[in-house]
Amino acid sequence: MSATATPLRSRRRPPSAAGASSLLLGHGRLPRVLAGTALAVLTAVWLLPFVWAVATSLQSEQDAASPGLSPVKGALTTEAYRHILERGNVTVWAFNSFLIAGLVTLITVVVSTLAAYGFSRGTFRGRRVLLALTLAAILVPPQMLIVPLFEQMLLFNLVDTYAAVILPQVVAPMMVFILRRFFDAVPRELEDAARVDGASELRVFLSVVLPLSRPIVAAVAIFVFIGAWNNFLWPFIVTNDPDLMTLPVGLATVKDAFGIQYAQSMASALLAALPLIVVFLFFQRRIVDSVATTGLGGS
Amino acid sequence: MFTHPSAPPPTPASGAGAALTRRRLLRHGTAAAGAVLAAGPLSGCASPAAADASALSVWDLFQGGDGMLMDDMIKAVSAGPEGFEVQRTILDWGPSYYTKLAMSAAGGRASDVAIMHLSRLAGYAPGGLLDPFDLDLLAEFGVRRQDFAPAVWARTQHDSTVFAIPLDVHPFIVFYDKEAADKAGLLDSSGELAPMGSPDALLDAGKALAEATGQKGILFGHVTDTAQTWRQFAALYAQTGAAFSLPDGGPPRIDVDAAVRVVTFMQQLFDGRTNPNNLDYYGALAGFLGGRGGMVMLGEWELPTLKKSGIPLGAAPFPQVFDKPAVYTDSHAFVLPHQKNPDPARRRRAHRYVAEMVKQSLTWASAGHIPAYQPVLAEPQYAALDPQSSYAGAAEVAVLDPPNWFAGAGSNFQNRMCQPLQSALLGNTSAEKAVRQMVREADALLRQPNPVA
Amino acid sequence: MTTTAPAGADAVSGPAPERTGGLRRRGLGRIGRRGGRTSHGPGLVFVLPFSLVFAVFLVWPILHGLWMSFTDSSLALRDTTFVGFDNYAEAFGDPDVWSSLGNTVVFTALSSVPLVLIALAMALLVHSGIAGQWVWRLAFFAPYLLPVTVVTLIWTWLYQPELGLANQFLDTLGVGPVGWLSDESVAMWSIAALTVWWTVGFNFLLYLAALQSLPSTSYEAAALDGAGAWRRLWSITLPQLRRTTALVAMLQILASLKVFDQIYILTKGGPNGSTRPVLEYVYDVGFTGYRLGYASAVSYLFFALVIVVSLVQLRLFRQED
Repeated sequence: MSATATPLRSRRRPPSAAGASSLLLGHGRLPRVLAGTALAVLTAVWLLPFVWAVATSLQSEQDAASPGLSPVKGALTTEAYRHILERGNVTVWAFNSFLIAGLVTLITVVVSTLAAYGFSRGTFRGRRVLLALTLAAILVPPQMLIVPLFEQMLLFNLVDTYAAVILPQVVAPMMVFILRRFFDAVPRELEDAARVDGASELRVFLSVVLPLSRPIVAAVAIFVFIGAWNNFLWPFIVTNDPDLMTLPVGLATVKDAFGIQYAQSMASALLAALPLIVVFLFFQRRIVDSVATTGLGGS
Repeated sequence: MFTHPSAPPPTPASGAGAALTRRRLLRHGTAAAGAVLAAGPLSGCASPAAADASALSVWDLFQGGDGMLMDDMIKAVSAGPEGFEVQRTILDWGPSYYTKLAMSAAGGRASDVAIMHLSRLAGYAPGGLLDPFDLDLLAEFGVRRQDFAPAVWARTQHDSTVFAIPLDVHPFIVFYDKEAADKAGLLDSSGELAPMGSPDALLDAGKALAEATGQKGILFGHVTDTAQTWRQFAALYAQTGAAFSLPDGGPPRIDVDAAVRVVTFMQQLFDGRTNPNNLDYYGALAGFLGGRGGMVMLGEWELPTLKKSGIPLGAAPFPQVFDKPAVYTDSHAFVLPHQKNPDPARRRRAHRYVAEMVKQSLTWASAGHIPAYQPVLAEPQYAALDPQSSYAGAAEVAVLDPPNWFAGAGSNFQNRMCQPLQSALLGNTSAEKAVRQMVREADALLRQPNPVA
Repeated sequence: MTTTAPAGADAVSGPAPERTGGLRRRGLGRIGRRGGRTSHGPGLVFVLPFSLVFAVFLVWPILHGLWMSFTDSSLALRDTTFVGFDNYAEAFGDPDVWSSLGNTVVFTALSSVPLVLIALAMALLVHSGIAGQWVWRLAFFAPYLLPVTVVTLIWTWLYQPELGLANQFLDTLGVGPVGWLSDESVAMWSIAALTVWWTVGFNFLLYLAALQSLPSTSYEAAALDGAGAWRRLWSITLPQLRRTTALVAMLQILASLKVFDQIYILTKGGPNGSTRPVLEYVYDVGFTGYRLGYASAVSYLFFALVIVVSLVQLRLFRQED
């Protein structure tokens, strides 16, 4: 981990850090030492579960199941990882997770961006009603819809298909709201110039508006992807076939003939954790920004 | 991985375990992606059949010892001359398994074969969640109705259609330390546990065993368990000869006097001195393994664990202390979860798989289960299994949960019956109050509209 | 990127992004222009795809769920009949509905408070500029990126009664083992602790973003006044974070009310129903118990709770402004 992350450190140190430090802590030594200690303790507590999991995953099952406070109880071995990869389930689920989260993100972003732009600029009839409905829908927790949605999938004969996992996840009123706020703040002059030049509305959108909105679209995409990647409830409800399950659902549902084996369960947990952590190490700034902008509802 | 890179042999891959090959992954994944992207969002895609057209998908809830034996059996049947590829999926025992089973059947893309406790059949067959077996087809593969004990076979049907083929009968029994039991004078001339015949005899046996071990007599783990006290109660209640049924709309038909007699006896038996009343499941198991008791009341499925301990192990059907011989049991059975468009050839293969599997039940018996397929019981190898053969008779007097959609193994019903019984055993409530509470709980469940009728 | 091509069909065949297919592009373009003739701006077409999925996968289920709550709809394959308000009457008299709603509220309280306070503390500490920014950020935010099952697998192991880190640690202190997930009085706390570890990173980032956008002028004034670090924290930083705190608390409470995943995986709502949130009760009665109609009614009670909480919060939020 540290090997991949080292270059980030030198590049990513916020330029404001030194200034902020003097603002918050002043120039006294004591606050600085106290803050440093608190930070170190919190970080240790937050990293401890990872450390313990990594250590357990590198033990043989016998060593993992022997008591003791030290996480390393015997010789290190990658046996657990080999078992997991040989069985192949985790690979299938990871593939499904990528496919599903990818398609959910693609469809959500396309559909929401178009709609947000339409809501922001359009003057067509029914716009206000549709917009009001969309905003009101932000209050609806999707979790309350699992029963009627499952019934709907029964009706469409889609239970145990990728389509059933993906489609209900692409409705994201919150993302429409965030994107619309962004578009509202973009000056219209550029678009109007293009319109005068005779460009079609789609062309105006694709070649004038979209290039300006790349950061917010990226933020929304990242946010939607993380949400879909980690979504549990709906994929859990609508997939029973283990070949269609995502990582979180498969790991929680499908069991092993041998029963619980701690080294292997830690190994599979860490393998499942890896993709997004790696992505984070590479796109730290982007992801942080996307959470901040979308999480705050664009404000 | 179970890949055969060169010269694929005519025998199919030994597909036990939920193994997926890279080839399958890719085929499956790209097909699905293509379907979603090209054919539009509403096209369904990638059914299990598309993943691997030939593999039979089977579901069960066996982990640990049972799980590995199931693997062995699947390997054995799939390796035969006309073997087949089997993709096995294991889910968590209990409500999570039964929920997924029902949801997959409702969705119409369920597995080809699944394991179900017979006590749960009433929650699945009437609601159209199971497809019936074709008995002629099974007969073709050498399995007929007369091969099963009538007490068990009677529970495989709904509206006189057969929906389940039992693999085993697994009673709630007693295990005992042969040396301690001998010292306590509880063995008959053949070295088996002598019949009890009365409540007092079992109470005395507990005292004698406590004396013989110098510790406790009879161990029973039930604290926070969601089935154990119900098993114990149901075993004893059935012996009183009183009826217990669960008619929709309520109230439950239960003989309250007999139930109070049973709970009072349970309180006497687990008095906290001779026989502890506050053990949990693993506490009782560990206690018996550690020699802290002469007898333990458990399901026979714990046999492999107990056998490994080296204790001179005896086993017997749950002792008859009231008027009528009866043993509380359940049965793992094969069912065909509902599929919307079953492929006849696949269905045929599913039948053959079930037939081959019940014929393999000698392997299954090594876990302690009594094979439901009786020709196996007649084999000399089975008679040689010790102590399994000492409780094989339990199948003849099998009593299962009263049939209703909400009852059976791993159900909310058993859980709710256990709460008052646990309180009674822990001394927090009287036998009368506990029974009244049980009646109330059962009544509340019965007054819910029946969702499968 | 604006094109100077004359109006007409050729206008769209310029250097357009490759992503859209030719047919579709032309079609959309024409419709867009037709809308543009009456009023400059994108037409209904832009909103149509969203409206479609919105109608089918959100509006329809909302209405259909409402309808189902008045029927005896079942998971089993049989006919459905209208039962009026029976399901609601039953739900109001069902102690499990109330206890699961209660558990949901308890979880929300137990998790939201530390999730806001610890996030704030983390953000303040990190913002103080102590070297090693990426380490702190990674440590605090990384758990948020984990799928729920990864979190529960790791914590099941930490909470494991005989071998887990938590009890091994207590053992060295000479304190008896704790049934982290099996003791009715402890289980909800254990789940809240896990949830804090898992999701605090999100709130942490929101706070960090807010801190980074605070104006520095007031600090400079305070520095001139010679105010100490504590004074500056209490009288400048925290007051400026009030709006953020209100927002973070609001998002957090709404998120906590929707708890299902980690509780379902860890305890299935046990021991003895003591951790079962209302969404799990919906799952239990609807799917495990087949009673989809009744589960829909319980869903609507849950919805009512969410709406009430949202409105109360919005009101408080408005007053803050």
